[in-house]
Amino acid sequence: MRLRVNGREFDEEPRAGQCLRTFLRGLGWFGVKKGCDAGDCGACTVHVDGEPVHSCLYPALRARDRAVTTVEGLAPADGELHRVQRGFLDAQGFQCGFCTAGFLMTTAALDDDKRADLPRAFKGNLCRCTGYRAIEDAVRGVKHTEEPAPGESVGRNLPAPAGPQVVTGTARYTFDVAVDGLLHLKILRSPHPHARIRAIDTTRALAVPGVRAVLTHHDAPERLFSTARHEHPEEDPDDTRVLDDVVRYVGQRVAAVVADSEAAAEEGCRRVEVDYEELPYVIDPEEAMRPGAPVIHPKGDEARIARPQDNVVGETHGEVGDVEAGFAQSDVLHEQTFRTQRVQHASLETHGAVAWFEGDFDAPDGRLVVRSSTQTPFLTRRALCTLYDLPQEKVRVVAGRVGGGFGGKQEMLVEDIVVLAALRTRRPVKLEYTRPEQFFGATTRHPFTIEVKAGASRDGLLKSMRMRIVSNTGAYGNHGPAVLFHGCGESFAVYRCPNKKVDGYAVYTNTVPAGAFRGYGLGQVVFAVESVMDELARRLDLDPMEFRRRNIIAADEEMIAPGGVEEDLHIGSYGLDTCVEVVRRAIAEPDHGEAPPDGWLVGQGAALSMIATGPPGGHIADARVVLQPDGGYELSVGTAEFGNGTTTVHRQIAAGELGTTVDRVTIRQSDTDVVRHDTGAFGSTGTVVAGKATLRASQALAALVLDFAAQHLGVARESCAMAEDAVVCAGRRVPLKELYEAARTADRELAADGHFGGTPRSVAFNAQWFRVAVDPASGEIRILRSVHAADAGQVMNPMQCRGQVEGGVAQALGATLFEEVVVDERGAVTTAAFRRYHLPTYADTPRTEVHFTPTRDAIGPLGAKSMSESPFNPVAPALANALRDATGVRFTRLPLTRDRVWLGLRDHGVAREA
Amino acid sequence: MKTFQYERPADADTAVALLADAPTGAYLGGGTNLVDLMKLGVAAPDLLVDVSRLPFDAVEETGTGGLRIGAAVRNSTLAVHPLVRERYPVLSQALLSGASTQLRNAATVGGNLLQRTRCPYFQDVGKPCNKRRPGTGCPAREGAHRDLAVLGASEHCVATNPSDMAVALAALDAIVDVASGHGPRRVPLTDLHRLPGDAPDRDTTLRHGELITAVELPPPMPGARSAYRKARDRASYAFALASVGAVLQVREGLVHHVRVAFGALAAKPWRARTAEEALLGEPATTASFDDAVRHELAAARPLRDNGYKVPLARRMAVSMLTELAAASAGGTP
Repeated sequence: MRLRVNGREFDEEPRAGQCLRTFLRGLGWFGVKKGCDAGDCGACTVHVDGEPVHSCLYPALRARDRAVTTVEGLAPADGELHRVQRGFLDAQGFQCGFCTAGFLMTTAALDDDKRADLPRAFKGNLCRCTGYRAIEDAVRGVKHTEEPAPGESVGRNLPAPAGPQVVTGTARYTFDVAVDGLLHLKILRSPHPHARIRAIDTTRALAVPGVRAVLTHHDAPERLFSTARHEHPEEDPDDTRVLDDVVRYVGQRVAAVVADSEAAAEEGCRRVEVDYEELPYVIDPEEAMRPGAPVIHPKGDEARIARPQDNVVGETHGEVGDVEAGFAQSDVLHEQTFRTQRVQHASLETHGAVAWFEGDFDAPDGRLVVRSSTQTPFLTRRALCTLYDLPQEKVRVVAGRVGGGFGGKQEMLVEDIVVLAALRTRRPVKLEYTRPEQFFGATTRHPFTIEVKAGASRDGLLKSMRMRIVSNTGAYGNHGPAVLFHGCGESFAVYRCPNKKVDGYAVYTNTVPAGAFRGYGLGQVVFAVESVMDELARRLDLDPMEFRRRNIIAADEEMIAPGGVEEDLHIGSYGLDTCVEVVRRAIAEPDHGEAPPDGWLVGQGAALSMIATGPPGGHIADARVVLQPDGGYELSVGTAEFGNGTTTVHRQIAAGELGTTVDRVTIRQSDTDVVRHDTGAFGSTGTVVAGKATLRASQALAALVLDFAAQHLGVARESCAMAEDAVVCAGRRVPLKELYEAARTADRELAADGHFGGTPRSVAFNAQWFRVAVDPASGEIRILRSVHAADAGQVMNPMQCRGQVEGGVAQALGATLFEEVVVDERGAVTTAAFRRYHLPTYADTPRTEVHFTPTRDAIGPLGAKSMSESPFNPVAPALANALRDATGVRFTRLPLTRDRVWLGLRDHGVAREA
Repeated sequence: MKTFQYERPADADTAVALLADAPTGAYLGGGTNLVDLMKLGVAAPDLLVDVSRLPFDAVEETGTGGLRIGAAVRNSTLAVHPLVRERYPVLSQALLSGASTQLRNAATVGGNLLQRTRCPYFQDVGKPCNKRRPGTGCPAREGAHRDLAVLGASEHCVATNPSDMAVALAALDAIVDVASGHGPRRVPLTDLHRLPGDAPDRDTTLRHGELITAVELPPPMPGARSAYRKARDRASYAFALASVGAVLQVREGLVHHVRVAFGALAAKPWRARTAEEALLGEPATTASFDDAVRHELAAARPLRDNGYKVPLARRMAVSMLTELAAASAGGTP
């Protein structure tokens, strides 16, 4: 059929049943993204004859004789950008950028009327990263970016290096590659919550035309591993096989079919015959710990499961002081149980990987390349090599631009099976998760149940805090123990209290595994702690912020958690009191937020949180900066960019130290070829760990260049200084190009390495405040004002850091108000689509006022602290506290959907009948 | 996705003839629901007859002052049509409250009426569902049902109809024009969808191969006000937890004529006939609206987790009728 795409004529027949998105991507228009494949997310939006449609629901055949415009065709042919693209660059209206093409196409089709009603105009487009404020600014023509100036990069609003590629649809994400001879892998998944596979017959699957291989547990290594990625693999239990003969949740891998097309692989999956012996199952963690419950992992010590017979994968117990004595000394007590739900990361790019061979794999220099949507290229390579007994030089793991992570990609969920298939078939293989698979075949946040008892004296001082925490890790223990430990760390330690006790259990159940998620356990526990602090203050008739002020740790105080002291954790700078002050000022201000509707109840509430600026036990980053022939610099860092903006910051750090402008620094990253090692982009380490390695490499190179220049010119080193594109020595300007040539002639490379081991660590602080209105007749909540205070130390890029906070608040609001991965009585996920799992849309997301405290950290590079996970953590309790203030009812279970709120109000006699 | 044949006939007669010979074929409108269901494996037609480009794309006034809307008119066009905005605000509001721009640009009037339920069990081929596979059971009754039916459900099925537009059309007393091999017929919108009873697999009263060609709206009642309101989990772009469309005509403070339809409470748009009858000639006050709607919703039989829908729907209906009455009295349109 004939059609016109971006002004070019094509004459191609779509395959039967093909949607327009797949067809366009097949023609090489990779700017068209696959986010949900169901018309929910808008990432695939294109124009057909000028009108925006979801190309995933648009049969390709329907485009016959029509004109299709994708993001690649948005700009006029004169080389200029479309005004909408320019707007998104000026406001930096993106983070990972995976949704951006869709937003651009929707925005470009808006007339003035529609632009005036953005909540409606943006119904069909989801963004998971930004919190939408930057997108709104982009549409409204607000410019946030500044121009680069030599040597003055830190603290300035410089744009992301990949911006021009993101807005033109030329940034290459994981699946935006055409690989010759590519095979497609599809996974057959378990229909049972717990079963032993008696037999698998692959004969009929192998008979499907195009099917090349069917992999079952017979093909998988016996070796156990964890999908979780940590610098030290022993932090997680080894309880997982690539393909197992026991399945432990509905949705677990049973077999993998590799075929010439996705359709053939799917057909192959339908034809695999499996004989299951169903086993007893348990989906509630308390039941799972009781005697007689089905044992999910009857494994030995080598698996590092704390108590396999009790389904306890990890536990923590500790007490400082004597909590019972503390309760006896308290004048007020509060005891309550809190529950947090399963939530999904919902990054718009799903999990997936493409593997191919460079050269003949069996030859000495042949190797396997794995391109993956990962936060941890180096750790994934290490795990693949361990699993398949491969030397590291035989495997390269590389991430393209990653379309969002939020912790979900600190796992090896796909690479293991893709590599097994590639090694087996000796062909390139691709696996791209569908959106439903993302819900039932990836990971979620750990659901927690937190029983809290706390007491305080009449003078408003905390006397005792006790928590019993049960974390549901699902069928596998990836991140289970570590998330539990972290959850009971800073949540306790931020308060001064003589008596603290914790008993925590991470428990296996026959449900979809939980894993790393933004906040890493803190969000769940902070919800409980900050709710209880609010209740204690109310009992004491104290302003909750005043109560907090009296009990938070001071700058010089020890951070004490009952589970144990973290030796390398320090308060590198202290902005906690200022965060509390920002909130108190906001409360005191005359109300200038949205006015509440008549008859609605109004209230306000706040919460605070503390987070370590990196994981315990070390986090390694290597960086290398090399002077280039053109006088520019090339910076190599291992950490991955998935919208967190670390690339922007690294370039700023390098440019600042080298006295140049950011546009003279190019970056190579997210690739096991570019540096020796990098633990990865998790634990909020992008700025404070990889940034510190970058700082050290840049400082070392600056010193080297100055030394060389002084030597080259025969002048004193002290008379030399770095300039934008030269070294200035005693008033004489030597271009860097010339120095490069001189060094080359002398057979020297002007290059330097930087390394940081991630310790010692500092802490960052956040506080969130909401004013809300609640409709007593329907339970609907409306946010009237949202204020966030953050101690990020020296803010490296205020525009971008603000975006991290806004995005964190928005993502947390989703988890507070409506997101929930629901499982049924067999543990099967029933919310496996964006139309049932509701992310906040533009219309749901308030504009949050973000305030940074003027602090400078003693540990982080140039005074910086992390600010990627932390904004999430205080949001749910702040909202629950505001709801309590408005209604008098304490809600203890997330999410706060309107039916739940209405029922809660009704049960407390607050709900008003119409 | 299963492979299928695709035809794009030039006229309705050919379309009807093609499907008459294909017992497992289906018409394809905008495809926003059917294509999704095909990807999910819920629908597996072996023939798709594309009717989106048949000449049913006009919106025109009828001789009696009503409006005739072609079945292929896209939701986006209809939502902003000047005559719809002016005379049938309930319809325009319902369309704009549903879906997104991208979906409305593709979705047609006929397809919107025939979209299937979004019940999670219906959409998951790995689970039993009497609507998808009769006789397999209905796990929703015990399972996840907070957004499912409280009215007119049966032990076999508690699905809801997801359409916002159909609720408005029910409140407008719309008539659906249908073509088939046996000649055309006209079906009142309120008779188009059916309650599940013991045959939940049948969403509508249409026979296989019948093709919706148009929807006709009767002329607007002089001085009447109409509106549509929807409650959902998030502020936009979600299926309704409850919705209400209403047309109210008040004369001298008394209800002269009223039509109320609820959405998301049943397998069809739920016309509140009991409430309507009770209100005729009564004072147009919150108290009478509340009485009447309570009366109507007394028939509700909520499940474990969806009882909140009843007061939610009642409150929405009463406050909307109160506002429509106030607007009638104040003379603002």
